[in-house]
Amino acid sequence: MEPRLANTWRLTVNEKKFIETALQSDLRIDGRRPFEYRNISIKFSSVDGSAEVQLGQTHVMGFVTAQLVQPYKDRPNEGTLSMFTEFSPMADPSFEPGRPGEAAVELGRVIDRGLRESRAVDMESLCVISGKLVWAVRVDLHILDNGGNLIDAANIAALAALLTFRRPECSLGGEDGQEVIVHPPEVREPLPLIIHHLPIAVTFAFFSNETSVVIDPTHSEEAVMGGRMTATLNANNDVCAIQKAGGEGVLQSVIMQCLRIAGQRAYDITTKIKNAVESYNTERALRKVKRHSSSVSLDVSGADVDVVKNQNQSFDQKGVSERSKLIPGKSIADQSTDIESETKSSRQGQTSRIDGDAKNFIGGPSSWDPYTGGVNSDFLKASLASRGTSTPSRKEKDSRGENISREAMPVEPPEDNILASSPIEVAKTPLRTNGEKTLKDAVKPKNRRKKKASSAGGS
Amino acid sequence: MEIDRVDGRTANQLRPLACSRNILNRAHGSASWSQGDTKVLAAVYGPKVGTKKNENPEKACIEVIWKPKTGQIGKPEKEYEMIVKRTLQSICVLTINPNTTTSVIVQVVNDDGSLLPCAINAACAALVDAGIPLKHLAVAICCCLADSRYVLLDPTKLEEQKTKAFVYLVFPNLTLSVISEGSLKVEGEPVEQAIITSVTQGAMSVDDYLHCLERGRAASAKMSAFLRRSLPPQIPSDSSKAG
Repeated sequence: MEPRLANTWRLTVNEKKFIETALQSDLRIDGRRPFEYRNISIKFSSVDGSAEVQLGQTHVMGFVTAQLVQPYKDRPNEGTLSMFTEFSPMADPSFEPGRPGEAAVELGRVIDRGLRESRAVDMESLCVISGKLVWAVRVDLHILDNGGNLIDAANIAALAALLTFRRPECSLGGEDGQEVIVHPPEVREPLPLIIHHLPIAVTFAFFSNETSVVIDPTHSEEAVMGGRMTATLNANNDVCAIQKAGGEGVLQSVIMQCLRIAGQRAYDITTKIKNAVESYNTERALRKVKRHSSSVSLDVSGADVDVVKNQNQSFDQKGVSERSKLIPGKSIADQSTDIESETKSSRQGQTSRIDGDAKNFIGGPSSWDPYTGGVNSDFLKASLASRGTSTPSRKEKDSRGENISREAMPVEPPEDNILASSPIEVAKTPLRTNGEKTLKDAVKPKNRRKKKASSAGGS
Repeated sequence: MEIDRVDGRTANQLRPLACSRNILNRAHGSASWSQGDTKVLAAVYGPKVGTKKNENPEKACIEVIWKPKTGQIGKPEKEYEMIVKRTLQSICVLTINPNTTTSVIVQVVNDDGSLLPCAINAACAALVDAGIPLKHLAVAICCCLADSRYVLLDPTKLEEQKTKAFVYLVFPNLTLSVISEGSLKVEGEPVEQAIITSVTQGAMSVDDYLHCLERGRAASAKMSAFLRRSLPPQIPSDSSKAG
C-alpha cells in the first residue's frame, strides 16, 4: 500500500519549542524530572512465559516459546535464543505491516545483544544431546502501544517472559539412550530457564541544547530529540551493551553521568522485575497444588488476582460463579451454605452482598464484566432447579435453561483444559481427603443432572 | 447421555466472557475480548485517506491485519483476515466516508479454542470504541459437534481438536425496539434471524448444521445482551486521539 502521507504525524513547531524551552528549566511536559522513569507495571497471564509490560503509555507484550532443534555446527552444546520483534500497526499509525523497519530491527538487535553477548541466559543447560538436539528459545515481542521508549519496555517484557517461562523436561531413554522423551507438563514439572543476571536497557535522549538529557523519553520527546543512547546494564553495574547510533554529538562527561544514572535505574528496575516474578511464581505454585481450582484466568483489567484464599472455595465449584471466589477468607462450608440459603430466599434478585463485594473488588474496565451482575444467583437457581425432580422439556430448557446457563458461566481452571481426564482424577483424590467432601458432594450431582437435562434436551 | 466436558460445562454453556474498551492510547479505538482463556486484542485506526488498489473508491474500505501470538504470518492468518474483513464490511456503513480505509488490527494474546469468533467480537467492540458508524453489531460464536452428535458451544482448543466438525457463526445484534413488533423484517422474516458469516470445518450433516444454527442463535442472544451491557457510553478522559 502506498505510504499515506496524510497519516504521518508531525509535531508542530510550537510544541517543539515548548518542549525544548521547558527542558532548559529541567521541566518535562508530563511533569517528571529529567532522570525519572515512568510507572512500570508488569503483568503475567496464566500461560507460562508471557508478560505484559506497561511503561507509562507504552504497552509491550512478550511471549517465549521453545522448540527442539539441531544446534549450530560451531556450537554443538549450546541452545539458541532468537528474538522476534513485531512493531504492530496497532501501536502507531505510522507502523506498516510487513517487513520490519529499521527501528524494529534496531530494537531487536539491541535487546538481543544485551541478552546474548552478556550471557544472561544460560545456553549450555539447553543442550539435550550434544550435536543433535538442543532447545531453541524464541522470544516474540509485540509492541501494542507506542508511547515512547520502546526499547526499555520491550527489554523488560523480554526479561519478564524469560524469567517466567518453563520448558518441558526431557530425558534420554530408549535402548541406546539416544531417544529423547519430552515429558508433558502434567507428568513432570517443567523447568525454568537459568538466567544469570538481568541486563536492563536504559534509554537517554539528548536535545540540541547541549546540557539537556532526559531518561525514558515519551513519544513527543522522541520527536524532538536530537540523539538517543541506550545503555544496557545489570544490577551489578556491569555494562552489557551501549548503543548510540548517530544523532547529536555529546560530551564525554555527559555520557559518564548517564552511565552512572543508568546503573542506579537498572538496580531499581531489576528489583521491580524480581518482585513481580516472585509473586507470579508463588501464585503459580499455589495453582499447581490445587490443580482444578478456579481459573486464575484473570479478568480484563489484568490484575493479578490473589486467588490464594479463594482456591479452597473454588475447587470443583465449577458450577459456582466467579463472584464467589472474590469473597475472601470464607471457609468453604460457610460460603456454600450462605450462597444456597440466599438463593433459596430470593430466586430472582441479585444478592447484593456478593454483588457489593464484587463491585468493591474490581474497579475500572472489569466493571463491564458480566459477573458483576446476577450470575451467581441465576446459575444457582438453575442448579437448584436441576437438583429438583422436574426435568424440563427441551423447549422449556432452551428458553429458560439457556437464559440461565448462558448467564452463569462457570469458572474453569485453565489446567483443566490442558490436563487429560486421568490426571484430574488422580489429582482430585488427594484433595478429597482434605475435608472438602461436603462441598463436592453437593456440587457434583448438580452438574451431572444439569448435563443430563441439557443433553437429553440436546438430542 | 451425559456430555462430559473437561472443564465441567454443559453443552450449552459458554465460558466466562470479559470485554474491556479503550485500553490503548494511540489507537483510535481498542477493545479486548476474552472467552475463558482465549483472549484477543483489537485496535482500530481510521478512517485514513485512500483505498487499496483493488478496492472500490466509491465506498469506505476496511483493512484487517491479523497478528498471531508467535510465528510467521502464513495462509491461515490471511484467511482469518479475509473472513473478519468480510464480516466487518457487512456491519459497517460503507457509504458514509467513501475513498477511505479503516484499519482493524487483531492481536492474538492467547488461543484456547474459538479464536475467530473471539476476534470478531473484539473487532466489533473496537469499532464501537472508535466511533465508526455501524449498521448493527455482530456477535460470533463457535459450535462444534461432539462425537455423540451433540452440539457443544464455545469449545476449548482440546475440544476443537477432538471434534470432527465445527462451525463459526456470526449473527447480527440489532437495536432493541420499543415496539414489540418493531423488529425489522426483510421479506417477511425478522432480521434477527439472519446469519452474517458461517465458516465450517469438517463434514457435518445438514441436520447437524441446522442444530448448530439454532444453538448458536440462542447463544448469540445472550452474548448480545452481554455486549449491550459492556459497551455503555463512556466519558473519555482523553478525548483527542488523533495523532
